[in-house]
Amino acid sequence: VSGTRKQRVPIEPGFFSVPEDPADPPHLLGSLCNACGEHFFPRRAVCAQCLAQDTRDVELAPRGTLYTWTWVHFPLFGSKAAGHAGGYGVGQIDLPEGPRVQTVLSGGPDDFRIGMPMQLELETLREDKEGRDVVIHRFRPAEEPP
Amino acid sequence: VKLENVAVLGVGMTRFGVYPERSERDLAREAGLAALRDAGVSFRDVDEAFVGYLAGTPMTGVRAMKEFGLTGLPVTHVENASATGLVAFRDAAWAVASGRCRVAMALGFDKMTEMSAGARSVSRGVGRDVIDSVILPAAYFSLWAMRRMHERGTRPEHFAEIAAKNWNFGARNPWSDRQPDHEVTAAEVLASRKIAEPVTAMMSCPVDDGAACAILAAPELARRLHPGRPLVRPVVSVLQSETYARGHTFMGPVVGPPSMTRDTARQAYEEAGLGPEDVDLALVHDAFATEELEYYELLGFCREGEAEKLVEERQTWPGGRIPFNTDGGLIARGHPGGPTGLAQVFELTRQLRGEAGPRQVANARVGLAHLVGGGSVCTVSLLKRD
Repeated sequence: VSGTRKQRVPIEPGFFSVPEDPADPPHLLGSLCNACGEHFFPRRAVCAQCLAQDTRDVELAPRGTLYTWTWVHFPLFGSKAAGHAGGYGVGQIDLPEGPRVQTVLSGGPDDFRIGMPMQLELETLREDKEGRDVVIHRFRPAEEPP
Repeated sequence: VKLENVAVLGVGMTRFGVYPERSERDLAREAGLAALRDAGVSFRDVDEAFVGYLAGTPMTGVRAMKEFGLTGLPVTHVENASATGLVAFRDAAWAVASGRCRVAMALGFDKMTEMSAGARSVSRGVGRDVIDSVILPAAYFSLWAMRRMHERGTRPEHFAEIAAKNWNFGARNPWSDRQPDHEVTAAEVLASRKIAEPVTAMMSCPVDDGAACAILAAPELARRLHPGRPLVRPVVSVLQSETYARGHTFMGPVVGPPSMTRDTARQAYEEAGLGPEDVDLALVHDAFATEELEYYELLGFCREGEAEKLVEERQTWPGGRIPFNTDGGLIARGHPGGPTGLAQVFELTRQLRGEAGPRQVANARVGLAHLVGGGSVCTVSLLKRD
């Protein structure tokens, strides 16, 4: 099976994991401050809360809660996805560790409500020259509560 | 720290709008010469200049200053995104207040029509699908608005009423880009093109070109040159960048959280020894009408959760308790970027002198100017008539 599976690469390294098996959940790559315990996304070397130069890399939970969202009535520039032609959702998701993440959302204009559980996923943007899928992180409404 | 020994000597601006046939230098010269005329001084009297713009390339500011002459004065470029003009004003005010110069000029100019044309061509094909793309500013401020609607039951009509007010203020201001020929209604605002829920096109500022300028000087000079004119002084000019708090969003936002405005305003009031109850009019960053409603609370003009009531009671309207964006704000007067904050200083100065014509706020003594800028920063200035 793995021989027929298309290879996936992140649009930029260091922000989210790309599991070999697309059935496995991806994770956002964050930092944990060893001194004060605050979590961050994306990764940072210096803690933004206590300024300690002592953080370590962690994987953040792939689920969160929708803090706010909007529907943008314009096509998403550069997106080839048919679902973006009539506009697209943007939202901020609170992760259980603390960070609030702003991303484009997957789903239609009637799919979102504040406080709903959201699930991280990877969306394919295009194919690169080597025939690999270039992917980016998105959040979509989760099917069941986290 | 409070500003001492500095006054606004003169102000000038171009009407904001779309000027495809005019250069940045041309616009800068018109605004600067108007300010020098209003100040009653020659460019030879200007000891130091602070010049701000967003759309130009490096060196543009120093080169534009040559329009006024080559006198050897120190020129510093200032850039803080949308807050640029007010930050140039802050630097010029401090240059005088510190005693290092007698007359300082703050000049802002921009051709956002060219900047947005450039941005469009860049985004084509590359687009917003980059890891840390800044989303459409309208979408970002709509995230605030959607959260507020959820928490406070704010309706799109509240935002539309604010936008209509600012359009109608614009009709009373000859320097406003948008000067509607009829009374704009909330229904008209709501029916305009949808941008990002709940923001419509008429709730959004236009893309503008223009220039604005303020001349700061020692109060004695202002009194000597204009003995009959009310003296307008900057009392404080505060600038903050973001402060970390749980829930801070590092990637994607256009500006920091709304609390930036509350923190910056608190510092300004504290240092000035003034409170919101002393302020007679306020000019704020209403790039989108949804923002203005938030600023009613964040600047302290009502308690938390009461901003909607200010709209319903028309308290920020002409003749209201605290008129907001009397020159039309970013929505009507326009928002070219670099000069926007100096257009606010222009309006506050004319209001505090009693020269604002049909939009004059009766007995205006204290005015507030507020801008946020991408990156991000927030700046608040308080101006007072003696």
